[in-house]
Amino acid sequence: MAIIKPTKRSTIAPPLSETSPVGWMKKHLFSSTLNTLLTFVTLFLIYITVKGLWVWGIADAVWVADSRRECFDISMDGACWAGVIAWLDSIFYGRYPRDELWRINLGILLLFVWMAPLWLPRVKAKIYIGLTTVFLYPFLSGYLFSGGDKGIFMQLMLTAAIVCLAGNTIHATIGVFTGHSLPEFLPRLFGIKDVQEKTLHNMFFTLIAVSFVAVFMWQMGWGVEKIPWTKWGGLFLTLVISGVGIASALPGGIILALGRRSKMPVVRVLSTSFIELFRSVPLITVLFMATTMFPLFLPEGFVLNKLVQVIIAVCLFNACYLAEVVRGGLQTIPKGQFEGAHTVGLGYWQTMSFIIMPQALKHMIPNIVGNFISLLKDTTLVSIIGLFDVLGMLRSISKDLPWLGLHREPLIFGAILFFLICFVMSKYSRHLEAKLSTEHKN
Amino acid sequence: MAVRDNNKEPVNMKPEEQFNFFHDERVRSIFYQLLTVAVVGGFAWYLVSNTAHNLEIRGMNTGFGFLNVAAGFDSYFKLIPNEPGTGTYGRIFIIGALNTLYVSALAIIVSTLLGFFIGILRLSKNWLVSKVALTYVEIFRNTPLLIQVIFWYIGVFSLLPKVKNSIDLSGGAEVLILNNRGLYMAWPIPGDQLWMTSLTIVIAAIAIVFFRRWAKNRHDRTGKLFPTFIPSAALFILLPGTVYLITGMPLGWELPKLEGFNFVGGANLPPAFVALLVALSIYHASHMAETVRAGVLSVGKGQYDAARALGLKEKRVMSRVIIPQAMPAIVPPMISNWMSAVKNSSLAIAIGYPDLVTLFMGTSLNQAGYAVELVGMTMAFYMVISLIISWLLNIYNKRVQLVER
Repeated sequence: MAIIKPTKRSTIAPPLSETSPVGWMKKHLFSSTLNTLLTFVTLFLIYITVKGLWVWGIADAVWVADSRRECFDISMDGACWAGVIAWLDSIFYGRYPRDELWRINLGILLLFVWMAPLWLPRVKAKIYIGLTTVFLYPFLSGYLFSGGDKGIFMQLMLTAAIVCLAGNTIHATIGVFTGHSLPEFLPRLFGIKDVQEKTLHNMFFTLIAVSFVAVFMWQMGWGVEKIPWTKWGGLFLTLVISGVGIASALPGGIILALGRRSKMPVVRVLSTSFIELFRSVPLITVLFMATTMFPLFLPEGFVLNKLVQVIIAVCLFNACYLAEVVRGGLQTIPKGQFEGAHTVGLGYWQTMSFIIMPQALKHMIPNIVGNFISLLKDTTLVSIIGLFDVLGMLRSISKDLPWLGLHREPLIFGAILFFLICFVMSKYSRHLEAKLSTEHKN
Repeated sequence: MAVRDNNKEPVNMKPEEQFNFFHDERVRSIFYQLLTVAVVGGFAWYLVSNTAHNLEIRGMNTGFGFLNVAAGFDSYFKLIPNEPGTGTYGRIFIIGALNTLYVSALAIIVSTLLGFFIGILRLSKNWLVSKVALTYVEIFRNTPLLIQVIFWYIGVFSLLPKVKNSIDLSGGAEVLILNNRGLYMAWPIPGDQLWMTSLTIVIAAIAIVFFRRWAKNRHDRTGKLFPTFIPSAALFILLPGTVYLITGMPLGWELPKLEGFNFVGGANLPPAFVALLVALSIYHASHMAETVRAGVLSVGKGQYDAARALGLKEKRVMSRVIIPQAMPAIVPPMISNWMSAVKNSSLAIAIGYPDLVTLFMGTSLNQAGYAVELVGMTMAFYMVISLIISWLLNIYNKRVQLVER
């Protein structure tokens, strides 16, 4: 029988052994003889490693020098970071003309501007912002990076992208200050009250159309110098390949995953074998396939450049991995959701796009980030088939005459660079996972 | 609760279905499938016809006849003999496949052992040890494997001292020697009587299986524990050991000897092999460690508390309660990690270790052409390996599901 006391007992402070630093150390580091020994052995190992790295990488390192020989003259046993510093521009931008670097920086800045509203709490219609990032941003940045003459299609897409970016930014600003969306805010701007939904739509689309025409007129006279893909390189190229890889693999992955779960045997078998085919072979074989077999696949006289070949290969490869991520996300959706949608009378595509995918995508975000991290790391493989991505650039330092034979420092710098990017993203994805799962648990 | 009569078919509940050809689900499904087949088939036909046309106008040879043609090159590292000059492309394929399997098998073994070790460190109650293990995992998981492979090769194993100043890892015994030409090891040479020792090892292993089964039965029947570890260990060491000594130690060791400018004798692993092995082992161990940790943590804390409450000792809680329940969560990701180790061994091409991709998609492709066949065969090899591994995984999953109610 339980004895329940109605009066509340005063809370007792936790014992000192739990709260004081010494108590914490006793519990976590010195709880037994074995543990104490372990702690000291570990401390010793940490000391040796950290000391070795410190002396080599910082204390004895050379930061300013003109050649590897000079590095050796200054310090024999230290790292020669001067070589990495001299090549820093190339590591980030490859052989992109130095006068045009603003285009890359602007492109990356615009991506942040475009995506920033996704993290702002009061902004509405985030799904559209996300979709336009995937579908329109690539045209804007694509033109910025490559430049040259614009075809009519490119002009239209570029205009759409610019209008959309401006619209997004205004929408987000309004959202942050008033909590309204752009179409809702329009009538207030003109002081109109009790506006009908139809008028609202008309106003909004007129605004869009007017600005579209205006931007189109403006961009006809605007252009940037063409820069061939062979000049692209460094971290920039790595980000382009993996960025396109993730953005275009997402639709492909969704279609493949739906195909794999389809009730139609032919569709299912085809999707499954396609997914399993690409998942069972190493990426490097797919890249080799792209460079050796794509020229054979295409009609005579139709030539793709190596960058496009690589990007297609990476997209195909990654779509199959994303398909499994999407399938995992779809599996978290309870069967009742499908049945409910069916009962309400929704068809397959309506069920998928309005009921299932919005829920599933939310659960997939952490895994998509994880997928992006591994794609980013895998993109280094393109250096094997001769593209000068970040690893390709790092390795050419050791072939540069003043820095001949400088292998370790660039590779370590590359490792640190990737570590920073990947570590931050994986931490963020874990944070997202925790946030999303608590929301789900009621 | 209402009791429903399930046997009774509802009569006349089904409305007369109006058969509408365009709205019938089966008709639609067949239509969509035919459409899919047509689109995919058409696309495939387009590619195939383009390829055939392109091969023709470029005058490229096709067919698998080239496998019997002598390849003009040889692999510097091989597990089966090959005559440079007369060895065929077929033989090069086998050499490459074996080299891939060899390095990935070793990497799998080392990374699994190391991964379990790090995973256990990660779960340690000692804060410092667990953080050090975490640092290891984060560093190696978050840097590209290719950078690690190249670093180990160029940054470590190629910078080792020359043959004259070799490092003796065995401290003067000349059993394990490291220099910039690779790792030299003493290699066993079996004597005539060695088969008797091998036989006793097998016998001891079988005896141990039966002994453990008996001990388990006795435990199930009577609840009395019988120590199994020390008797099995003793059986496994003493029995073959005695036979080995009686037959006069029929196992010689060939030591690597410095002759002229190089070491001769024993086994030699080239620097590229050692670099690839080390990089793969360290990288995959970091993934394995996380798998082990997640698996052990997936067993609820209640299981531990309950087992302790029943009076089981710490060690037995681990071996009887936690590990058996953690294994189903550990094994599937572990096996897919093995699979990716096999795939990642293809990074060998960056450092010139002659694995399948290096030999076949690299050298052979440059020399012989036959792009479609070479690429197809290489991919087919990896697919077969992956099929075998997923087949093993399925068997395991079925067994686990049976055990679990």
